[in-house]
Amino acid sequence: MSIKLSSSVPTDREVVLGILNNSEEALNKLYTGYFPMVLQFILNNNGDEDDAKDVYQEAIIVLYNKIKSGNFELSSKLKTYLYSVSRRIWLKKLAQQSKKTNNIADFEDVLAVDEDIEQHEQKDMQFDKMKVALENLGEPCKTIIQDFYIHNLSMQDICEKFGYTNTDNAKTQKYKCLQRLKKLFFQS
Amino acid sequence: MRNDIQLESIIEDYLNGKLNPAEQAAFEQLRSNDPIVDHKVVAHKVFLESMQQYADVLLLKQQMDAAHDQIDVVSLSAQLKPHSSRIVRFWNNYKSAIAVAASFLILVSVVVLNQNKQEGSFEALNRDVSQIKKSQNSLIRDIKANSQKTNITPAKYGGTGFAISSNGYILTNFHVIKDADSLYIQNNKGVSFKVKVFFTDAANDIAILRVIDQSFRNLGSLPYNIKRSSTGIGEPVYTLGYSKDDAVLGDGYVSSKTGINGDTLAYQIAIPVNPGNSGGPLLDNNGNIVGVINGKENKTDGAAFAVKSKYIMEALNAIPQDSLSKRVAYGKRSSLQGLKRNKQVEKIQDYVFMVKVYN
Repeated sequence: MSIKLSSSVPTDREVVLGILNNSEEALNKLYTGYFPMVLQFILNNNGDEDDAKDVYQEAIIVLYNKIKSGNFELSSKLKTYLYSVSRRIWLKKLAQQSKKTNNIADFEDVLAVDEDIEQHEQKDMQFDKMKVALENLGEPCKTIIQDFYIHNLSMQDICEKFGYTNTDNAKTQKYKCLQRLKKLFFQS
Repeated sequence: MRNDIQLESIIEDYLNGKLNPAEQAAFEQLRSNDPIVDHKVVAHKVFLESMQQYADVLLLKQQMDAAHDQIDVVSLSAQLKPHSSRIVRFWNNYKSAIAVAASFLILVSVVVLNQNKQEGSFEALNRDVSQIKKSQNSLIRDIKANSQKTNITPAKYGGTGFAISSNGYILTNFHVIKDADSLYIQNNKGVSFKVKVFFTDAANDIAILRVIDQSFRNLGSLPYNIKRSSTGIGEPVYTLGYSKDDAVLGDGYVSSKTGINGDTLAYQIAIPVNPGNSGGPLLDNNGNIVGVINGKENKTDGAAFAVKSKYIMEALNAIPQDSLSKRVAYGKRSSLQGLKRNKQVEKIQDYVFMVKVYN
């Protein structure tokens, strides 16, 4: 039943080094390499392609954060780790949707990853808080903040992009936006 | 306001490490003196970290979405999704359970096959039985090895017999005496008496011997009766037999109303019997003779057979009644009734004999 993964699966060492170096190519290889495994698991356990995508991306984020935090040891195969994390996340989602979770069809070995997933859930909450805060911020504040903090534009670029007469005005605007965002973020 | 904006941008530069050493020292001085500034630094640090995390994840998601778009999800999921056919899906979901069930079925069929095989050998045994009854398991004891004291020439075979009248008529199995040249019985005190075959019933495996020795004394009235009715499964029974030179008690119960291969002439009994037990009386707890031990199945432990008492009565009725003095009674109350087993054995052991066969 288990279908052979494509031969383009990178070695675990390549992936870890690639992620530490922010290599998009390594992430690409990792992502395409193991997606079929998780897709198979989700499809065979009450899920669809979108569920698979969500769960798999969350699992990659967990792995990514773990590698970035520096405490990832290659004690298990990345494949097994990703499978275990995806499985745990999906089972939690199934439980939340109160779908039946007995008779899980498994295709790989499973590791205990509860601790990593708890950490991930905390970070995920922060992510959602920030997302909600940004959405509530409204335009143009949202774009100004995103351009400055996420897309790393300079105040000069932002001034020109939005057509402020000088950077001081732009800075003042950004300051006001930031104050509001902080308020939204810390109060939520 | 302007000061706040400046402070904010200094805090940000400070946290991003963009201040030069002199500015940094000055700012740290300010921070340690002013708790409000210090708090703003801490809060902004937390905020910037959350923002950085948010930005990282957002970037990661963008990259993953790009990677996701390279995958042909539709054809992949067509390959991987549970088969639309119910049967295949059932198989995939429950293959471990099916495997367990299948191995159970295989196990069962192996067991059944084995049982069939056993039945085959059982039948083979039956064939032997029908051809030569004796080879079924004649419990005739080969006593050529341990002859001792009793006689001039050692007996070849031994069996058991019991008195059916006070004047020396002894009942035993036909197969015990079948090939005999001369026959003796020996009582529990070791005294032998010469006997002759008086009556045989090969079909029921019954023989009646008559003592022709002058020294034989009248036995007195017999303590046991012959049971008229048939005996049910589970009835406790015992036998006394000469599987060695002294009488041996065997204890058990009726385990089946038929003998080997459903033979209605016999009971199956669960009593450990050995060569030499053939012809021994089978008694119930009330001292009624319910049968005569005549064989056992060699493949099964604890399965012995006894000719039913009904055929003993038939044999007794076939001989001239006036020759029997104080013959064994049918269906009467036994004098052994109510006695404990050891007392019963004590009473009947004078009426049970070893049959010694010479040929």
